[in-house]
Amino acid sequence: MSVQRSTLIFAWILLLPAVLYVTVIVAYPLVDTFILSFTDASLKKTTNWVGWVNYEKIFNATFAEVIMRTFVWTFFSVSIKMIIGVFGASMLNAAVPGRALFRVLTMPPWIVPMAIGIFMWGWMYNGQFGMISGLLQRFGFIDGPVAFLAQGSTAFWATIITDVWIGVPLVTLYMLAAMQSIPQDLYEAAWTDGAGRFYRFRRITLPLLIPSLITMSMLSLIATFNSFDIIWILTRGGPSGETTTMIIDTYHTAIGSKKYGEGAARAVLICIFLSIFCLAYFRVTSRLSSGDNR
Amino acid sequence: MTIHFKPGHLTTGLFALALLGSTALGAMTAQAADQEISWIYCGDKIDPIHEKYIKEWEGKNAGWKIVPEVVGWEQCQDKATTLAVAGTPVGMAYVGSRTLKEFAQNDLIIPVPMTEEEKKSYYPNIVDTVTFEDNQWGVPIAFSTKALYWNKDLFKAAGLDPEAPPKTWAEEIAIAKQIKEKTGTAGYGLPAKTFDNTMHQFMHWVYTNNGKVIDGDKIVIDSPEVLAALQAYKDITPYSVEGATAYEQNEIRAIFLDGKVGMIQAGSGAAARLKDTKINWGVAALPLGPSAKGEGTLLITDSLAIFKGTGVEEKAAEFAKYITSTDIQHEYELQGGAGLTPLRPGALVDEFVAKEPYWKPFIDGIAYGGPEPLFTDYKGFQNAVIEMVQSVVTGKAEPADALKKAAADLEQYK
Repeated sequence: MSVQRSTLIFAWILLLPAVLYVTVIVAYPLVDTFILSFTDASLKKTTNWVGWVNYEKIFNATFAEVIMRTFVWTFFSVSIKMIIGVFGASMLNAAVPGRALFRVLTMPPWIVPMAIGIFMWGWMYNGQFGMISGLLQRFGFIDGPVAFLAQGSTAFWATIITDVWIGVPLVTLYMLAAMQSIPQDLYEAAWTDGAGRFYRFRRITLPLLIPSLITMSMLSLIATFNSFDIIWILTRGGPSGETTTMIIDTYHTAIGSKKYGEGAARAVLICIFLSIFCLAYFRVTSRLSSGDNR
Repeated sequence: MTIHFKPGHLTTGLFALALLGSTALGAMTAQAADQEISWIYCGDKIDPIHEKYIKEWEGKNAGWKIVPEVVGWEQCQDKATTLAVAGTPVGMAYVGSRTLKEFAQNDLIIPVPMTEEEKKSYYPNIVDTVTFEDNQWGVPIAFSTKALYWNKDLFKAAGLDPEAPPKTWAEEIAIAKQIKEKTGTAGYGLPAKTFDNTMHQFMHWVYTNNGKVIDGDKIVIDSPEVLAALQAYKDITPYSVEGATAYEQNEIRAIFLDGKVGMIQAGSGAAARLKDTKINWGVAALPLGPSAKGEGTLLITDSLAIFKGTGVEEKAAEFAKYITSTDIQHEYELQGGAGLTPLRPGALVDEFVAKEPYWKPFIDGIAYGGPEPLFTDYKGFQNAVIEMVQSVVTGKAEPADALKKAAADLEQYK
């Protein structure tokens, strides 16, 4: 056996556990869900092949609204997380006394178990006992209690704020790490030339942060698009479906109404969108790394 | 083309869905062994009364073992369903009776017929909650009804007689209005969150006005009786807790326990909690609508369903009837504080009501009560009713329009 051949076999042996893992845990269920999406699977003991019917059903006016809402929800949530994250990282990167303490204080939303954090926000949004309504009443901004999860418009933003609260620490820490990797001598040179704080941020920090910003945005986009817990615990997609995103709608259909075939079609659609995001992410990161190599 | 059911195929598909939906379908390994009857038991722990009688039954039935698995309320129903669909059913499961129709239609459970004598032992209308196509598909094990709680101090502060709760919807709306206007506190607690009990609460109004949602296979929700209930919902909303769509039944109860609402519809569990507060409260039968024939309420039962294909169906049915037999059931229900309404009348119940008179309205309402409507797609039905209620209380739709829309939507779920 040639050395080259034995090296190849050895490489495949090393890869085998990962290949098996991906096949069993990821590939097979995905393929199976794809097949399921072309059937009328439900509680019945037999299923019929129904072709594209499940896909035709989901492209009605209501689901189009759900898709649009998912994109809007994701857009605002990711954008706000990125803006606050970059701002927070800049603050934490500044040479101020007690910086280490502030860094620690950014962590709780990330450390607290997600469900507990969401329930806490649920109580804060409560009109009768909630802190937000109470404070607004005390300072005279509102006359009586306001339940923020009662109306579609406020509930939609309430779920975004909660998602931002949970997601910001990760973005902040990632951006802080990126900022700390920027060579200090660039700032010193700019400072010597009389560049102000904002100018240094605009002309040094921001351009050098762009690769990290893109990477983080993409990762955050994927996680946010697929976010289930926050909306489910706070509103279950209500009131009147005004916080129902694709993942909530899929759960209602597949698990609630036990229409597994229809639910699978919705899940496939989510997979397609997420795959597009992933492709974009890999493309951008590969471009960035090839740029680094030049 | 018809595909014969392959447990593995569907199980894996469901697994992928579960990952996406963050639900728990993981534990698919439970299997009924020979001479064992597995039982999915909803809650945090097995009730000591049940534990005691499981042992007694096992003593009398040598070679048989009951294997209960405690599953939290949120996952309980889904777990029993998933296991059945995946081809690995449990022997018996504690399920909401509302799901029996879809289980039966899909050949997942066996009927558990009742003799005439057994049927007569229950309070009226209870057997209807487990009956579909003239057969019983579950054995009732838990039951709840609702009554009207009122805050006597708030009544007094509003210039109302604190000992005179409303008897009709008109009185209830007028009292709610007076409380709101005279005290600034909400007169009524109307839950309308995207939550199952929003539908339950509305059904209490339907059954206190002689209304119905479905009759056999015919959708009859678009009736003057149900329209009157929806109109009453619209009329009482301005005097209710602000932001009804943010609260479910238990959250409204918390507001009542805090003394911030005049009246609520709640189960007997609220009384146990109220005893620990300083609130001066009373409880009465639910107020009646203009078409009512008598005191009514929604009758919610949970049942023991016997799943098909385990090989122990007969013995499981025998055990289900044993563990819910009159004496054991009374012992279980009348422990107090559990919020369960007795399923059957009896001397023990009379004794219990004499000792705890607040129980009376919960039992009186059974006479004209009605079951949770049985639909093939129960969640679809539930969501359509929630959508209808929310559109009215938020002012997005007029009751007549919302009702027509719901009636049309419900056709696909029956």
